[in-house]
Amino acid sequence: MPMKGRFPIRRTLQYLQKGDIIFKNRVKIMTVNYNTNGDLSEGARKFVFFNIPQIQYQNPRVQIMMFKNMTPSPFLKFYLDDGEQVLVDVEGKDHKQISQHVKKILGKSEDTLQAEAEVKMQASNPANFGPKKYCLRECICEVEGQVPCPGTKPLPKEMTGKYRTKMAAQQE
Amino acid sequence: MDHWESYRTKMIKTAKVRVTRLSLDPYLLKYFNKRKTYFAHDALQQCTEGDIVLLKALPEPRSKHVKHELAEIVYKVGRVVDPLTGKRVAGAEFVERLKEPSESLQEKTLSDKLRELDISASASGNQTLT
Repeated sequence: MPMKGRFPIRRTLQYLQKGDIIFKNRVKIMTVNYNTNGDLSEGARKFVFFNIPQIQYQNPRVQIMMFKNMTPSPFLKFYLDDGEQVLVDVEGKDHKQISQHVKKILGKSEDTLQAEAEVKMQASNPANFGPKKYCLRECICEVEGQVPCPGTKPLPKEMTGKYRTKMAAQQE
Repeated sequence: MDHWESYRTKMIKTAKVRVTRLSLDPYLLKYFNKRKTYFAHDALQQCTEGDIVLLKALPEPRSKHVKHELAEIVYKVGRVVDPLTGKRVAGAEFVERLKEPSESLQEKTLSDKLRELDISASASGNQTLT
């Protein structure tokens, strides 16, 4: 049973997670002005259709607004934290060119992303057990090859606490 | 700072603004606009209904509801200015027709032709009218 819609792949988690534009912390608002007809806005329309969901997924704190048919030429406008505004003209450009350009000017570079990932890894020790939010695993029963959780499968009699206490009491 | 559309309110120096942010529907995995209204302090009462406006969060709430102030009016309703050219725009067209570069070129050639005619007229001593 195929998914409904024109390009339903846009609505998959894998596609959304593949978005590579992660904005710098200074970018707060992104505005796209484009037209619904006309060849010059074609790239902008494709950008909105394909790339905006990816950008919003990777940057949930950035407000993205779309404006249609307000000006004759399409453009992107970014509002940064300190009041600075960045205007990007996208007339006649292809959506791939637009996303590459945006990544170059306002996206975090590969180095920054790797450094952040390393810091995150150092902060969290994979050997710890605890809530899913902070650690990889909550209990040793989750690991392959270890004793399974007694909640799902009862333990063998020799391992239960009451059998052990009974044997210890008998020996005394 | 947020990007919003302003409404009409009975309160003076306050603008009621609607923000739209994209929020992901958890089942469809599609982004939809989600609205939220905020009150913003507009000291000069410049906003009218339908303006697109940039708001800035105040360092501390001004009153029970007003926690933001108007930073600037981005697109004034009916008087939208194209940021690339700086000219007024109505829909997808400019309000005044832009000067096309071919027109100015023609003017130059016309003036060149006139100068040539003058030279020829003065040289030959005849007055010719075109």
